[in-house]
Amino acid sequence: MSEPGPLAGLRVLDFSHVFAGPFCTRSLADMGADVVHVESASRQAGDRYRAAYQHRNKRSIGINLKTGAGQQVAARLAAVADIIVENFSSSVMRRLNLDYASLAPANRRLIYISLSGYGHTGPRSEWLSMNMNLQAYTGLMLMTGFEGDPPTAISNSWNDYIGGLHGIIAIMQALADRVDSGAGRYIDLSQFECSVATVGALLLASAVSGKTPPRLGNRSSDDAPQGVYPCAGDDQWVALTVQTDGQWRALAELLGRSGFLADERLSTAAARMQHHEELDAAIAAWTREQTPAAAASRLQSAGIPAERMRRVADVVDAPDSGAVYRPFTTAGGRSALAATLPFTFGESALSEVETPHEMGADTRDVLRDWLEMNGDEIGALESDRVLV
Amino acid sequence: MKSARSKAIASLSEAKRLRVLDVTGPAGVYAARLLAEQGHEVIRIEHPAGDAVRRLGPFLGPSPNLEDGAYHQFFNAGKRSVALDLTSDEGLAIFARLAQSADVIVASGLQHADLARLRARDQHLVTVRLVNDDIPELIAYARSGLLSITGHPGKTPVLMGGHIIYAATGLWVMVATSAALLVQKATGRGQSVTVDIQQCFETFLDMAVENYTGRNRPTERRGYRGAVTAVSGAFPSSDGFWMLSLGDGNDRWPVLMDWMQDPVLAGDPALAEYDERQRQRDRILDRISAWAKALPKIDLVTEAQRRHIPAAPVATTSELADDPQLIERGFLVNVDHPRYGRMRFPRGALATLWDHSIGFAPTLGEGNAEILS
Repeated sequence: MSEPGPLAGLRVLDFSHVFAGPFCTRSLADMGADVVHVESASRQAGDRYRAAYQHRNKRSIGINLKTGAGQQVAARLAAVADIIVENFSSSVMRRLNLDYASLAPANRRLIYISLSGYGHTGPRSEWLSMNMNLQAYTGLMLMTGFEGDPPTAISNSWNDYIGGLHGIIAIMQALADRVDSGAGRYIDLSQFECSVATVGALLLASAVSGKTPPRLGNRSSDDAPQGVYPCAGDDQWVALTVQTDGQWRALAELLGRSGFLADERLSTAAARMQHHEELDAAIAAWTREQTPAAAASRLQSAGIPAERMRRVADVVDAPDSGAVYRPFTTAGGRSALAATLPFTFGESALSEVETPHEMGADTRDVLRDWLEMNGDEIGALESDRVLV
Repeated sequence: MKSARSKAIASLSEAKRLRVLDVTGPAGVYAARLLAEQGHEVIRIEHPAGDAVRRLGPFLGPSPNLEDGAYHQFFNAGKRSVALDLTSDEGLAIFARLAQSADVIVASGLQHADLARLRARDQHLVTVRLVNDDIPELIAYARSGLLSITGHPGKTPVLMGGHIIYAATGLWVMVATSAALLVQKATGRGQSVTVDIQQCFETFLDMAVENYTGRNRPTERRGYRGAVTAVSGAFPSSDGFWMLSLGDGNDRWPVLMDWMQDPVLAGDPALAEYDERQRQRDRILDRISAWAKALPKIDLVTEAQRRHIPAAPVATTSELADDPQLIERGFLVNVDHPRYGRMRFPRGALATLWDHSIGFAPTLGEGNAEILS
């Protein structure tokens, strides 16, 4: 960070793994917090790539939590931490003597957040959860797509972002309360509830009517026409939306269908909504003959909001997009991009992205900084294989 | 287990209750709801003709109007309403007076200079300014790259339903606001924050961007069958769909075989290895579909979970309105709604967390007389 972020000076002990927890803690790190990610050899299996979207801007400490001495080191770190973030299933931290009840007596200022799938109470609390399951269960997959489609997903860890963002907000509220009370608290966050909250409007509609609102595909509830239309080439598309009658006139001219303008059936957005399929066919007939870039450019020139479907490569390459991404160097020495915070404080720039640290790279530094351990103590823990 | 819940604070004391001016459109409106869920006094400044949030359907009454929009009723819950035309000099002058009583302004469409003037007058004030939130939702979604990863392979790419992307941008607005309020609390000084809504969209592509730039791995639309691992996806049930996610390890496969009792799959020992399951993916998925389609989804999911196989119902919002987990934890609460009568109301994630109650959405301008006097 170019200057200390709003959370500078706060210590976060991070026991989290894929992905709601790591996203939450990386964002705290982006805002200046000192995030120490606790890792153990057993969790290191699999992919060796250290993803910046999980590990960047954090320090890594390697502790063997299966040993009593390892658990004691973790508990000592917890005693001087401001925040603990974990997203194991409910029994894991208790078994390690690292649950809130075990740690709070030594640190009444501690804010401890569990980011589990369903929360630690209720009939579903023991259910195993994964992102795709939450996309399914929270209604997202049956409200996305067109009527009659099978369940429709987004190819990212959507619900982890949603849970992680709510987690950040809950932590900051607990920090604000701590300024007044001097006391921390336990936070039992349910990723399921977080994602259901984001569909709260349609849930409320269902609670009132007893019915499920129809899936709109790419249509708007009030503007028309709006849609995503096929272009020349394989899997190429352009999106457009008409929000004013002026844009409608411009579109009709562009399509070479000035007859539409004389058509009473199409004079208002509500009327055009009734004949959306007819308009879709006319628009697709026009877009199909062009590249998406050409179609988007001509639509934009006519004052109609439009954009081609950008793929990941397009976003990376386009000069007018990807402003939120910053370059960083992977542990393998390659140059890659990672998203930073989409907001700025005062005049200060966006946070920078550090190369993710290897597991245990900061073990000695953290034990010195947080616990004022000396070299002999650290050496003894190393030779007892408490540190990994 | 109730005792393990975070201890509720019934309501914020007057000293901790902040006054928030909410001048947001759809991309920021969830942030201000979350401030209301935290217990703050949120005053929504709305155009007298009704704004975009009030105009979003579906509508909870017989016909579209400015009071019965589902988005208005959910996202403006717990707020007050002042109807004010900020495009007029008179409206702006009233707004500036109101701002003198506020701790934080979350604003779209206001100029940087206007907000700076308010901060200059009140050193304590936090202003959160939204920019690039006037790009239409579908267009911003296409520009950000998210459209290219939503939908089924080869089919029309599609916007996430229910304007969910705007709840997500609202979350970023709330993160920025919370950070600024924390600094205000610690230092007593106001803050100026700018949130770029187009950049908020882009953040949700970050895994795909890093996988592409860091490891040459593309991300495309994956659909719903075998999308994550070989044996995963949404499968038909007798009453809709259920979601099954077997990992890429080998330990759950024998458990699934024990459950399914499928002689064809069980008779192929090579399938014990993940790579072979990947090769025979379609055959396996077809067998699962045929087996499960006669059974109700909740039975399938309950049995899968009993066997420690991650599974979930593919739910509709009507089903969520009766969900036992949401009811047990108090996310859904029984209320007598002034417009809709007795109903289950979604309190919200943070209101549930802190066990705060939340009020209903205000009628347009209901607070004009009281708040402006």
